[in-house]
Amino acid sequence: MAAIWAIGEIADGQPTKLTLELATLARTLAANSGGEARTVLVGAGASAAGPAAAAYGPDVLAVEVDGGLGDRPAAAVIAPRVAELVAQRKPDFLLIGASNDGKDVCGLLLGLTDLPLLANGSGVAWGDGAPRVEMSTFGGKLVTHSTFAGTRGMVIVRPASVSAEAASAPGVVETVEVSVGAELPAVKVTGSVEESGAAAPIEEARIIVGAGRGIGSPDGLKVIEDLAAALGGAVGATRAVVDSGWVPYGQQIGQTGKIVKPSLYVACGISGAIQHKVGVQTAGTIVAINRDPDAPIAEFAELFVVGDLFEIVPRLTAALRARKSGSA
Amino acid sequence: MTVLNEEQQALRDAVRELADDKIAPRAAAIDQTGEFPWDVVELLARQDILALPFPQQYGGLGGDMISTLLVIEELSRVDATCGLIPAVQELGSLPLLHGGTDEQKQRWVPDLAAGKVLSAFALTEAGAGSDAANARTKATRDGDDWVINGEKRFISQGDVAGLVAVFAVTDTSPEVVKAHRHMTCFYLEKGTPGFTSPRVEHKMGIRGSTTAELAFADARVPDANRVGEIGDGWGLAMKTFERSRPGIGAQAVGIAQGATDVATRYASERKQFGKPIGAHQMIGAMLADMATRTEAARQLLWAAAERIEAGDPHAARWASMCKLFAGDTAMAVTIDAVQILGGYGYTTEYPVERMMRDAKITQLYEGTQQIQRLIIARDLLASL
Amino acid sequence: MNIVVLLKAVPVVGTERLDSGLLTDRSVQLEANGNDEYLLEKALKLTETHGGETIILTVGPAGSTEPIRKALAMGAARAVHVADDAIRGSDMRATLEVLAAALRKMQPWDLVFAGADTSDGQGGVLGAALAVRLRLPYLSYASEIEPTDAGVRIHRINLTGYDILEAPTPAVVMGTQLLGAPRYPSLRGIMQARSKPVEAWSLADLDLAPAAVGGGAATTKTLDSAKPPERAGATFVREAPDEAVAKVLEFLAGRRLI
Repeated sequence: MAAIWAIGEIADGQPTKLTLELATLARTLAANSGGEARTVLVGAGASAAGPAAAAYGPDVLAVEVDGGLGDRPAAAVIAPRVAELVAQRKPDFLLIGASNDGKDVCGLLLGLTDLPLLANGSGVAWGDGAPRVEMSTFGGKLVTHSTFAGTRGMVIVRPASVSAEAASAPGVVETVEVSVGAELPAVKVTGSVEESGAAAPIEEARIIVGAGRGIGSPDGLKVIEDLAAALGGAVGATRAVVDSGWVPYGQQIGQTGKIVKPSLYVACGISGAIQHKVGVQTAGTIVAINRDPDAPIAEFAELFVVGDLFEIVPRLTAALRARKSGSA
Repeated sequence: MTVLNEEQQALRDAVRELADDKIAPRAAAIDQTGEFPWDVVELLARQDILALPFPQQYGGLGGDMISTLLVIEELSRVDATCGLIPAVQELGSLPLLHGGTDEQKQRWVPDLAAGKVLSAFALTEAGAGSDAANARTKATRDGDDWVINGEKRFISQGDVAGLVAVFAVTDTSPEVVKAHRHMTCFYLEKGTPGFTSPRVEHKMGIRGSTTAELAFADARVPDANRVGEIGDGWGLAMKTFERSRPGIGAQAVGIAQGATDVATRYASERKQFGKPIGAHQMIGAMLADMATRTEAARQLLWAAAERIEAGDPHAARWASMCKLFAGDTAMAVTIDAVQILGGYGYTTEYPVERMMRDAKITQLYEGTQQIQRLIIARDLLASL
Repeated sequence: MNIVVLLKAVPVVGTERLDSGLLTDRSVQLEANGNDEYLLEKALKLTETHGGETIILTVGPAGSTEPIRKALAMGAARAVHVADDAIRGSDMRATLEVLAAALRKMQPWDLVFAGADTSDGQGGVLGAALAVRLRLPYLSYASEIEPTDAGVRIHRINLTGYDILEAPTPAVVMGTQLLGAPRYPSLRGIMQARSKPVEAWSLADLDLAPAAVGGGAATTKTLDSAKPPERAGATFVREAPDEAVAKVLEFLAGRRLI
């Protein structure tokens, strides 16, 4: 009989996709454990965002935050309120999303509540009266299943670990008043800058085309983008490409970037060094296009096209377009 | 057996990382274009790699001999041309370090250590290769200056060097020649009127390391540019080889190791007849021999370095032994590497054909293998 | 400004030898956790420009000196190495206690830098917890860090660009690789590293009881571990571009990916 809370995030007045995934997961775990689940939303507009989250099953605890804290980073506002709620209602397990804000909230909660933590979860199941968290460690060499030594804990859950599924019976939204003893030390947000080229988060993409050093220059990106468009997918890149400034960091795939799990990953001009491998090795199907048949990516790709990507990729794009328009 | 200390290991690891990240990607292009890689010189200078063999008091790092050999080996493992850069920097500077005055070292060493100026060693001539003592380039005294006339051939980096150690004949009388006291060493700065580099060679390997002809037509240098006493030239050159030959030995070991690494990886991935070719005994045996000989060459190199640095009376023999063994090893290993890669090894898709072409020079320059054998035999017999 | 950089020593990626999720081979080669060196680089740039020292703090087995030596070779002034066998097997809470105790003992300092990523994917959390423990401001996901008159300012990356955050120092900052690629240690740096101080501390030096840390005190446990399913080797397509593309289409269609 465990109480499982999904700690959600609000963006543009709505719960994020990751929040809905966590809500679904909490609902499933509660059902399997004979316990109950909640989705916690903290922030300005939490109540308004509540129904959208409640559609995914668990009742929502919506904590409004007054405008006075508007100059602080979100996690600094969310964490003390969640900690206060946790102290009052004593849930057993918290599920927190592995977004930047989510990880901040989790880290702050670790300091505030001292709850045990399992980070980098790629799946959570219920077994033997406890959550069973799947994690990939040591650069992907090992897949472990872990649990808590005690009866309580927090789990950081990666995006796309579960698919968000609306519930047959939505939960109710409960607006909760929470007052905290002390806010966290002051950090002020004094400005905000928008940069062009911000793409949709690639963790959510079903198909990703990766650009490696083989593209040679920022001009080489065009053929990659065209292929991604033809496949209906997103563009990712290796660290070398991002470090060269050709692609934003948010699209970096690998050990120090994003771990992605698309159904299809097309690696163009990517050697497949282990730091990059870590980012894509759980992808469904990996196709590599590279001039060097000796490249390490051959070890984990399913199909390896030996050739100049500037010859192969445009032809592939053209063929895909032709096929789509029915003239193949 | 030599065991590397912590600092030597750290040095080697740092250079290895640099070589893999920054130099290996350039190797094929450097070989293809045959252009001297100034970007690599800048990189090595920035990382203080060129400063390693120079004394600390003149801006160097005062590194021990094994450290300088580790650097050359790690660079040569990915590109023999680049491995040669610190080797030649040391080669061209050794006469100055051995025979120069404190004033001369103050004048020149800081820029050499900083990699701002490259050096070269000009002894060989068209008619004086193995018979280096047969040199004809002449230096004639004229007041406070010397006037130099003649030509040098096959001078590594001779055209890109800002400072060249030139060995010229200063006395032709027979007794002096017989006593090997007929040559003197002069350092010439690039741009000295009358000192030119008319052409460079088109070579089989180390194609990025420009090998130049140097011409001297009434090139005038002040006596302040003379290094060592008049007649000291030959002795300075011989003393130089005690250090520079192991340097080429290190280059050869690096080439051999690089080739062994590529061949081993290939043999583990390439499958024929149902298994990786490395599992077939003939290939496995070749790999075993390659690895064993390379390690033996390395150990001999380090043993030689320790003794030479300690002032062993047979330093010349040690220098020749390690260069001889390493050069022959590099050639044998790279030939086998191409063999193991088969048809693919013969193409430019893999680096082993370049490594094989690069390896050959280690049997030729810095004294041919035949000269090395002469030196070793002579020393053996004289030691009875 | 004095900056303490948290450096985690991890196995060189690809060389780990494992047994039930713990490293078994003590002689396995270690390197600094990939992202930590970006924080180190930024710290070095800041102290080189504004004065002060960059100090390394590592918690790890006694053998993990390689990453520390490299950090000193890159230009850090000194290092503190908390090495105690009892720490082996510690969970995040225990590591947090050890780090907090060490940082308190190392005061005064202006900034603590932590990396966003670790090779085991568990990064980006400890910094926040440390800030709470030490009652300090926490600034995360920095792509730029600069001192201000009274403290520190960062650019915090978000989906559309970045926010500008400011806080008084001392503070804990967690940063990303956008701070700039780390320098290669120069040979001069490597040789100078020899004489830079590395203080070794045990749990006793931190007034921590062995029972509070290590595998015995862990609040999480590994149930099982297995290698991920092996991938069969790649099928190579070597045909000329047009034929190759046809084969790719056939392959993708067969998998219902297009």
